[in-house]
Amino acid sequence: MKFEKNELRVAVFILIPLVILLMFVTLKLGYSLASSTIDVYLKIDSLTSIKEGTQVKVKGYTIGRVIDIKPVYKPALHFLAVMRIKKDIEIYEDCSAIIQNQNIIGDPVIEIRNTEKKGELLADHSVVEGIEYVNLEAILQDVHALLTTLTSTVNVIRDISIESKGNLRTLVANLSNSVATINGILSSSQKDILAILASFRETAKTMNEISEELKKHPVKFLFKK
Amino acid sequence: MQMLPYNVQCVRNGSEEYYPETSGKKSIQKKRYGRIRGDMARFPKKLSSAWDGVKNFSRFVLSIVRSFRSIKYLRFRSLYSIVVNQTRFTGVDALPIIVSIALLLGATVIIQATKNFPKFGIEGFIGNLLVIIIARELGPLATAMIVVSRSGSAIAAEIATQQQNREILSLELMGVDTKLYIVFPRIIASIIAIFSLIIIFDIIAFFGGYLISLTTVFIPAKSFVQTLLDAFSFSDLAITILKSVIYGILIPLICCYYGFMPRSNFQIPIFVSRAVVRTLVILFVINAFISALFYF
Repeated sequence: MKFEKNELRVAVFILIPLVILLMFVTLKLGYSLASSTIDVYLKIDSLTSIKEGTQVKVKGYTIGRVIDIKPVYKPALHFLAVMRIKKDIEIYEDCSAIIQNQNIIGDPVIEIRNTEKKGELLADHSVVEGIEYVNLEAILQDVHALLTTLTSTVNVIRDISIESKGNLRTLVANLSNSVATINGILSSSQKDILAILASFRETAKTMNEISEELKKHPVKFLFKK
Repeated sequence: MQMLPYNVQCVRNGSEEYYPETSGKKSIQKKRYGRIRGDMARFPKKLSSAWDGVKNFSRFVLSIVRSFRSIKYLRFRSLYSIVVNQTRFTGVDALPIIVSIALLLGATVIIQATKNFPKFGIEGFIGNLLVIIIARELGPLATAMIVVSRSGSAIAAEIATQQQNREILSLELMGVDTKLYIVFPRIIASIIAIFSLIIIFDIIAFFGGYLISLTTVFIPAKSFVQTLLDAFSFSDLAITILKSVIYGILIPLICCYYGFMPRSNFQIPIFVSRAVVRTLVILFVINAFISALFYF
């Protein structure tokens, strides 16, 4: 069967889009020509901990490792770590990748944590944002800096207290003087207070007498000239 | 010129309008008033002529549907060669212009996106933008516009010329059902060509967009493809196929309809132009309708 040139051109023109369409449908349905692993990119800001060979774990179980690290210059310098992980482990799109130490001084490890809500499975060549691991050395440095700051603060407070000691003494002396003055005032006014009280008693007696007289002769008391 | 009542004096001659000569401000006012009255008077006439056009087009479509009864009398080889030639002309020959327009369009969309997306912190959504703008809307529409302007006008002009040269009449005298022989293969070829062109257009536009995006934001190629795959759903694919089928049917149908209309050689350019313009208008309307139906 012999085809004309036109027929061949048209056949190629029809077949190429059909093949593309078929590939799209195949990929969309989740089929892949690749092996039992998938490559997932981990986006990280700095390379303080991750290196080629860093293990990738889910709940402590190793599912893969970092096979390559690529620098990316745009829009700002960051890195893409290529994680080759097993395909048979269900990891979802919304998972988080936490870069942490295995123990106090252990090697860093990428811990993949699935969200509680199941979503789409993590596809080949997806990008996951990496959450930087807690750097022990950095923490120790921070704690040291904090302690230094605390010591200097305590020293400052001590200096302040020494400087203010004299002022405090003066304040206490002044306070005792004030108390003595008040005592003097009270002792000098003690006699007068007794006299005032005696006068009050006398007044009270007179008022009693008046009231008794008023009870006995009320009319006489009123019209007395 | 015979003097008629003023509102009847507006005489249409081709595209120009002539009015009897009068002088002074009053006459200018009269002219304006007369023109408005003339337009208002012509509106029902235009409406009725549009309705007649719709009825004629429906009769034309019906006659093509009816002509399928005589498909058994046509040789497959003759239809096949027309389909192949039309597909080559509509599809293969349009590839250079489709590729260049797709590259430029994809690049333009991405230039705007890369300039404005970082302001909102969504530079990672470039793939989604390409799918939404190019694959869903611009791809099918731009492809259809190119096909209408290239092949639609050619179909209308070819049929009109064949009719004026009595080639269609001679086919009818030989007992060939001309509607089936001329229109049907063009519809099939148009559907195939538009479908393939839309897919090629989308792929090239994505590629152009990706190349431009590399200048500002680095996205690994595989990751970009994965984003496109995630963003492009099966419903998008179904709508693209639906659009390609609808455009593939409508473009040759309308252009063939106007191709059969001219009654003299002078009318050929008028009807070719009319075919292109009206097909484009109908395409835009249908595109908006489909988008509203599936995405609104």
